[in-house]
Amino acid sequence: MDQKRAAILAEIPRLRRYARALLRSSDAADDLVQDALERALTKMENWQTGASPRRWLFAIMHNLFIDQTRRANRRGEASILTLDDGEALAQPSAQYETPESREILDVLQAVAPERRVAIVLVGIEGFSYAEAAEILGVPAGTVMSRISRGREEFRRLLDDGARRRTFKVVEK
Amino acid sequence: MTPRSFTEQDLHLALDGEMPAEDRAEFDAWLDAHPDMQVRLQRYRDDRQKLDSALSPVAAEVIPPRLMTALLAPPERRRAGLTWRFAAMAAALLAVGGLGGYLAASVPGRQPPALAYAIMDDAINAHLMYANEKRHVVDVAATEAGHMNDWLSKRVGIRLVAPDLSSQGFDLVGGRLLPVGEASAAQFMYQDATGNRISLFVTRYENRNDNRYDVMSERGAEAHFWQEKGYGCAITGTMPEARMSELSKAAYREFIKAVGI
Repeated sequence: MDQKRAAILAEIPRLRRYARALLRSSDAADDLVQDALERALTKMENWQTGASPRRWLFAIMHNLFIDQTRRANRRGEASILTLDDGEALAQPSAQYETPESREILDVLQAVAPERRVAIVLVGIEGFSYAEAAEILGVPAGTVMSRISRGREEFRRLLDDGARRRTFKVVEK
Repeated sequence: MTPRSFTEQDLHLALDGEMPAEDRAEFDAWLDAHPDMQVRLQRYRDDRQKLDSALSPVAAEVIPPRLMTALLAPPERRRAGLTWRFAAMAAALLAVGGLGGYLAASVPGRQPPALAYAIMDDAINAHLMYANEKRHVVDVAATEAGHMNDWLSKRVGIRLVAPDLSSQGFDLVGGRLLPVGEASAAQFMYQDATGNRISLFVTRYENRNDNRYDVMSERGAEAHFWQEKGYGCAITGTMPEARMSELSKAAYREFIKAVGI
């Protein structure tokens, strides 16, 4: 394995984490990572050796996600589920998921995709606003407003979930 | 002097380390005077922590073998369903040394895991480099086939005889010696009546446990790999896949016959 592939390999854990923020199902998320790796291998010359491939790989994966979402929308598939749909379609969760983390990931999925990616790229992956702007192909100011709206939405949805749980307890 | 006013937007700048250092003192003073904003900032910080705890275990998981395969083998091969060995190899390596062990084993250069892959890669590179040569396509011409076979056998370290591919309409042009990692390989070049060229790349291949056939296509060329009794061979050309597959079967048959294994 050459050094370029070794450097890409080192980014796979982060790519998988980001993919899980984009897509709720772990299989679909890994499919996306796989597509991104394959795409990256065909565009190897676009990445200068020496620089970390992280931003480059995130941008590739993000673009694939956007394409995939657009295709799904054209086919009329619901790409954004509401929280209640998510509960109805509850799938066997990955091993590591605790009930609490499952709820948080479900709530995250309910945040509008463009806001969701902004809060994850900056808050979890640690990119600066400028780097996230480059990955997403939008101005830094847009990233900033998506982060504040995204965090606000996430907070509200978490609170809604907590309220709903309270009602369920009361009904019993 | 009136204290500077901040907005909720600034909470995010502070949280994300995007606030200019010179604004920080004034921001802290503003925050002290706005307990509701302190609560809000703490809430965003807690939410971020929750999200991190929910997402980050994914990054600590063992990388699924199929992703290792995607990285090590080009998609053409995966679609052909020929990469079980890479997945098994990746899984075994991860089991042995985890990610660190895998990286340590792989970075220095050509290690056994990707050997078949490396051979096909080298075969394609060598083919594209020399098949397009007009005058220097080989080091030793087919007219000196006997000498060429002896010389290449000595240098590669295994008995080599250029197989006869005339049944497929291909005549031997000649051969050359090539480096493959720190070892050597032989390249036999063939040409048909219309000028199409294919080459057979042969090197020592000690991995007797995997006797599989593999295909890689890259930069418009396709390499078909097989290994047999210490020989690792790749037939490479730019003809359509079906034709390449036919040629690789013939080359395998003729090679086995020629070297007597």
